[in-house]
Order: sequence, then C-alpha cells, then structure tokens
Amino acid sequence: MADDRPSQPGLAATLSLPAIAAVSLGFLLPVLWLARMSVNPTEPGGVLREGWTANQYVELFTDSFYAELTLASLQMSATATLCALLVGYPIALFLYRLESRWKTLLVLLAICPLLVSGVVRAYGWIVILGDAGWINSMLRGAGLIDRPIRLVNNHIGVTIGLTESLLPYMTLSLLAGLGRLDRGLEEAARTLGASPLRTFLRITLPLSLPAVVLGSTICFMLAVSAFVTPRLLGGGRVLLLATEIYEQALVTLNWPLAAAIAMALLALFSVVLVASGRLQRRVAE
Amino acid sequence: MLVRAAFALLALLASTSIARAQSGEITVMAYAGIFQDKYTEAVIKPFMAKFPAVKVNYFSSGNSAQMLGTLRTQRSSPQVDVAILDVSVSNVGNKEGIFAKLDPAKVPSLKELHPMAIVPDGFGPAVTFDHWVLVYDTEKVKPAPTGLADLWDPRLKGQIGLSAMPNIQGIAATVLASKLAGEDFKTSIDGAIKRLKDLGPSVQTFDPQPDGYTLILGNTLTVASGWNARAQLYHDDSKGRLGVVFPKEGSVFQINTINHVAGSKNAEAATAFIEYALGREAQKRFTETMFYAPTNAKAEISPAAINRTAASAENMAKMIPLDWDWVTTIRDSWNNRWRREVIAGR
Repeated sequence: MADDRPSQPGLAATLSLPAIAAVSLGFLLPVLWLARMSVNPTEPGGVLREGWTANQYVELFTDSFYAELTLASLQMSATATLCALLVGYPIALFLYRLESRWKTLLVLLAICPLLVSGVVRAYGWIVILGDAGWINSMLRGAGLIDRPIRLVNNHIGVTIGLTESLLPYMTLSLLAGLGRLDRGLEEAARTLGASPLRTFLRITLPLSLPAVVLGSTICFMLAVSAFVTPRLLGGGRVLLLATEIYEQALVTLNWPLAAAIAMALLALFSVVLVASGRLQRRVAE
Repeated sequence: MLVRAAFALLALLASTSIARAQSGEITVMAYAGIFQDKYTEAVIKPFMAKFPAVKVNYFSSGNSAQMLGTLRTQRSSPQVDVAILDVSVSNVGNKEGIFAKLDPAKVPSLKELHPMAIVPDGFGPAVTFDHWVLVYDTEKVKPAPTGLADLWDPRLKGQIGLSAMPNIQGIAATVLASKLAGEDFKTSIDGAIKRLKDLGPSVQTFDPQPDGYTLILGNTLTVASGWNARAQLYHDDSKGRLGVVFPKEGSVFQINTINHVAGSKNAEAATAFIEYALGREAQKRFTETMFYAPTNAKAEISPAAINRTAASAENMAKMIPLDWDWVTTIRDSWNNRWRREVIAGR
C-alpha cells in the first residue's frame, strides 16, 4: 500500500458503526424525546397531556424571569471559568515545567478531586465556608471580624464550589495544550535578553492561547450544566437554568417546561461551541 | 367440646382461605430512609405475617414527584402496585389515569376515615397526616420559640433554615405568614410576602440540605421549618436536643395518600394491602412508631403518641384547612413572588 488510507472506503464507515449507534442511543434519542416532551401541553399542577403546543416556548421567551435566569447562568459560569483559569494556569505551567520524578504524582494530585463525588465535595465546602466553618473561625480568632461573613448559601459559595470542581478539567486541558509549546522558543527569548515577564507575555501566553480557549470552553459548558454545586451551596438563593430544570422536572412536575428549558440550554451550548471554534482558529493563526 | 373444635377448625379454614386468595408479590413504592425503616417495621412486616402468601417489596425512589415520574415511565407495564406519595402529586396521577379508583366493598376501612382523608371520586385516600412545625436547638434558643412570629427575633439572625417554595413547606409557611399578617391567603398574600421579605436577610438557607433537623444538630442552624413526624424522631434520637414546636399561629397538613396503580399485576393483594394500611391496627402502630397522625378516625392511639401529632383535640382545632388541589392553581404565582420578593429581596 502506497498511502495509509484504508483500501476499502466502506471500512471506515463500518468501523464507526458502533460509535454511531452509541451516540444515537445515548444522545440523539433522548434529545429527540426531550424535544417531543417540550411541546406537550400541561394543566395546572403539572398534569401531563399528549399533544402539541408552543406554550412552553412562549413562556420561555416572554417571561422576563427566564432571561434573568439565562443571564445569571452565563454570569456564574463565566466567573467560575475565569477563576478556574486564573488558578489553573499557574498550576499547569508549573507542572509542565517541572522536571522531577514527582511530576506524575503531582499531576495525579491536581486531578484527584475528580475521584471524589461532587456531592461530598460540596458538603466539604459547607464545612469550610459555613458561619462556624474554618475560615470564619480563623478570621474571628484573629480578631478581624466579630460577625461571621456569609461565604456559603449565596453566590460566593457557589462560585467557590464551581471553581474548585472545574479546576481539574482546566488544569488537564492546559497541560495538554502546553505540551505543544516549544521550550526552545522561551530559551531563545531569554538568551536574547527578554525578562521573564516579557518572555511569558510575548512567548508563553500567546502560544498557550489555544489551550486556554479549549479549557475555558470545556469548563464553561460544565459550569452552565452544573446543578449539584449550585443546589447544595446556593442555599436556595442561586437560581440558574440548571437548577430551574431540576425544579420544574422534579418538584413542580412540569416536564414539558423542564424539557423546553433543556432545549434552550442545548441551543445555548451550540452557540458557545461555534463561537469557541471560531476563536480557537483565530488564536491558532 | 366437639362443637367448639369444629368451629375452631371452620374459623381456621375460613381465615386460611382468605389468606390464600391473596398471594404472590406486590411492590409498594414510598419514601426512602427513616420512613422506609419505620413503615416496614410498623405496617409491612405485620401485613406479611397476616398474609403469609403475599411478599411485599418496598421500592423507594426519591420525593413524590420522582415517584410519579417513575410511574409515568412504567405506564405500559407498571412494576409498582401501591404508591404512597404527597396528595398534591397523587392528584396529578389521578388526573393522568396513573392511579385506579378503589372499590369501597373491598376497602371497608374507607368508612372509618377522617373526612379530610377522603379524596374525591373514589381515588386513593390519605394514609398519613403530617404538619408543618418549627424545630430548634433547645441548648441555644432560650426561651423556646412559640411560633412563626418568633423568627423575626434579631437574635436568630443568620441562623434560620426556611424551606422556600416550590417546596410544599414554603406553601405552608406562606399560609401561616398570611395568618400572622391578618389576611385571608385565598384572596391575598401581600402581607405574608412583605413579612417574609423582611425575614429574608436573616435566613441562612432557603433550601436546607439535606434537611433542617440535620443542620441544627450539626450546629449550622438554630431554627428551621420541618415536618412533625420526622422532627419527633430526630427529637428522640437527639435525646431532646432538637425541640419541636406546634406554631401558635396554627399549622397546615401535609397529606400522603395511598394509591392503587392502574394496571397493577396483583390487584387483589394490592387492595388487601391498602385496606390493611388504612385499618385501625396499622394506623395505630404507624402513628405510635413515627408520629404521623392517623387518618383512620377509629384507630385508638396511645395518649402519649397522639399528643405528639396534630390529632390531639387541642392541635386539631388550630389546623388551617388547605385544599391542595386549589394550591396547584396558585402555586406558580406564589412561587414567583417568593423568588422575586422574598429570596432576591426585590
């Protein structure tokens, strides 16, 4: 064989059949079911009927509450993604540069929060951030405050919890992206007399931008769909699209409205993906 | 002597033939955790002792709405025979045809039920009555709170857990706050919302996780809203540290109904179970085990247990009647006001 393309064109298609089947069964069918559910009529109390109506979408686009929810979701996700980037970037850079036999262990350490369930981690944050938690006790012990500062059961708590849950994903994406960074370029800049800061700003940072865009996209998507952390750390004060879907589906029983919000969220995802794809190409050039 | 023996034999034959008519397996779906433990102990095990040919499986699947969700997906082939869930959700199931009507001839205990336990059109009636209470830390809150009005005490600032709407505890809190504001919740909740909005900043959490009782015993809160039955159990488990208050403003019933799933594969045994669960014996035992008020008015409950439920004459007089079917019509508008005015403080 002269080239490494498969000799039979049908082979590639045949080989991808299992993947296609898995995606259709695991993703497309549920989404289609959701789309169908979102146009079923409901009666007060959540009584579900078979039929066709656009009521849920009308409500979604006319009730200003859902615009507020969307804005709140975007804001919260952007903040948490930015925080994860600010914390994760130095960690990733440090791990990437590290030449030590402990490197693998430290990388594992950076992603090991993923081994613990999100629920357990959220409860951990309640212990740390609560009125009688470690942080408030320390601040009080140091005489800096005389009343506890509320760090949980509000937006602060959710931002902290989300940032922490995104951090391993951000670190991993950045590490993968930094792998393509040629260390020779940094060394060249330094030998040519650039300060460490200048080297970072002119060489390292621009070259790592594709990884930054990739990591931020993944984290943003995870943050928008995160539901356990906002629910456990928000104290009922942090209302987002994801928590609203939960409430409509599992508290007020309005499945069609929950499905309609989920479809809107899916549309939002597509927009973010397209935008991130464009940005990725732009920074790569 | 011979006659007596013959009668005994006849009675034995009759009872075994009744027991034989009910056989096989049924699945009862209800709440998880402590409810499952206590219900199994007080009702399911004695039922199986009485009907040895019937095996009862207990299946728990989250809250009432999640249970109805499970039943919706099993519509073509129900795996559950009997479901115990909140009346506001079982009403939806009744309208969707998920639950079947009961045959009064096969469920004679229906005649003994409290009038408030009856669900219209012959659908599954109430099997437990619970009510909204305040729970507090007896070591930290002195003097003890006496009602909802005490939550505005500045000493409690930041230590309150108040389950907000759409949780049904939030609906009960709205009704009580309306009473406090001297208005009729059926026409207006303006006064209630205004008061709750003032309370907002003092509330540590509007969604206590996992629940208010645990957060009080874990030193995160000192006062919270709750349901009586679970609160009474936590009171006993904490050796009295968790105090339970029947609010002086009154309270609202949370009602669980027992329902026969339409298309259940063992209707005979399912009906027998429902009859048993509504009967005096099971009602007495479950009230004395978990402090849900009985729905069977003829059940003779020990005074010690009845005084810890809403069924005592004194408490019963203070209950505020609430039609949960009516609640479904105003729930969304109340919920919006909670979110915008009480929680967001706008």
